[in-house]
Amino acid sequence: MAEVVEVIIVTVRDIFQDEAGRRSRFSDEYKNLSALIILDKQDMIRLEAKDGQKLLVKNDVGSVVVAAKTSEDDMHPGLAFMYNSPWSNQLVSDNVCDGSIPGNKRIKATLSTTEENMDITQISELQARMQS
Amino acid sequence: MAICTGCSLLCEDIVATYENGALTHVKNLCRKGHGHFQAAFTERTVPMIDGEQVTLDRAIAKAAEILKSAKSPLLYGWSNSTLEAQAAGIKLAEKLGATMDDTSSFCQGILMERILSGKIPSCTLDDVRNYADTSIFWGSDPSSSHPRHLSRFSYYPRGEKRQKSYEEERTCIVVDVRKSATARLCSNYYFRVAPGGDAQFMEAILAVLEGKIPKVGDKKKMIELGSHLKKTKWGVIFPGPGMIDSLQDKMELFERLLAKLNEITTFKVIPMVGHYNMRGFNELMLEKTGFINRVSFKGGAAAHGPEHSALVAAKTCDAALVIGSDPLSALPFCTAHALARLPLIAIDPRRSLTTDAAKVVIPSAISGLEAGGTAVRMDGVKIKFEPIIDTNLLSDEQILTRIMEAI
Repeated sequence: MAEVVEVIIVTVRDIFQDEAGRRSRFSDEYKNLSALIILDKQDMIRLEAKDGQKLLVKNDVGSVVVAAKTSEDDMHPGLAFMYNSPWSNQLVSDNVCDGSIPGNKRIKATLSTTEENMDITQISELQARMQS
Repeated sequence: MAICTGCSLLCEDIVATYENGALTHVKNLCRKGHGHFQAAFTERTVPMIDGEQVTLDRAIAKAAEILKSAKSPLLYGWSNSTLEAQAAGIKLAEKLGATMDDTSSFCQGILMERILSGKIPSCTLDDVRNYADTSIFWGSDPSSSHPRHLSRFSYYPRGEKRQKSYEEERTCIVVDVRKSATARLCSNYYFRVAPGGDAQFMEAILAVLEGKIPKVGDKKKMIELGSHLKKTKWGVIFPGPGMIDSLQDKMELFERLLAKLNEITTFKVIPMVGHYNMRGFNELMLEKTGFINRVSFKGGAAAHGPEHSALVAAKTCDAALVIGSDPLSALPFCTAHALARLPLIAIDPRRSLTTDAAKVVIPSAISGLEAGGTAVRMDGVKIKFEPIIDTNLLSDEQILTRIMEAI
């Protein structure tokens, strides 16, 4: 059985995701480029995941289901990257909302593989959470 | 020629042709700018109250009613508005006794404050093109965030004193937690730092500049970096959100590093501001209130403090006006959740998570494409622009003026 893997997530920018978001925040293109977590090869092996595998990313603040992608970068086990988006912001801690800079460059979270029928978290689901 | 308001480089050499409501020909736009120009034709907003389409007059009247009856309104956004709209916003905030904040509050604000007060030396991007032989991208990735930065100013162009440019005379250094697109361009000069490890890295540079052995990093590579910095004739550091987030309350370490570098040679700093007129907002607020952001006009006089940050004010205010920004997409969940529960007024040309949650939506013209105005580039250069598309939509400034007249 695959492990639950602990990571530090750093949010970063990507020009392709940015461009897609400018065209529409509600498009499949934007979702596919945003609901993504980029992982080191070793972490992918520990999760028994391949590119596109849906992963539950969870911490004290919230959770999202996103797709895994293997990093092209050098080895960085335990360090994961997500593009700035409503998906990554679901995980940014409450206790930074005190006037300081939000902690979206050092998000602690756990990763686990999901049931096959679990889908990527939809933007409509994120909107419903915000408005609940 | 058109100006691109897609980022804070405000590229002035754009050629764009629109025919029958579509972008038919463009020249000089980057990928990001192309998305920005295409956005003129997708998901435009219409005046709405509670999800129902209404006339513009009714939407403006409702917005005025909400703001007038609020005891502690928040006015947020502003980094994607012209200086003229920002000035109208400050007048509105004064009239309402509102809290006013922008995205710099939790991004480049702590650095911008030091630039505008002269604590940290800065320069223009034209100086960079003409003189810089070393550019350090620290926690920034212009290939993703400001795609024409390298080609127009910092790496590829032939400047007055840099005719041999990147082939011989310019070096690009990247300090980042990941090997970004920019880091791949200059992989010999890529320095990886751990998340939150920027202060340690700065101390290591200070150590090598003082002839000591660095405590972190590859010692040989760090000593080579120190030698390179000492040989630099005219250097510039471009800090991005990565460095700001990592340093936070240790900004004096960055000041120390710059002081040391400037004892040896010349080093300037230009913050990698994201939104096209964030710096304009900071400069204007400083001129009008003495503070660059996080200002409350409650009781008349301008008060400043972390309690007036949008992150806090979203939880304590009783109504909010958001202009040219999508905080429900871009801010932490707790803030987005707090804003979504308020009577929210969104002034925006396009549909967003924020307009979807707003009680009142007021459509506006896109600055640079459909509305003219003035903005301040990331390096402090003021740039004026004219609209290139005819529209009946009101500009942000006109909408804010109408709201104020209705209060």
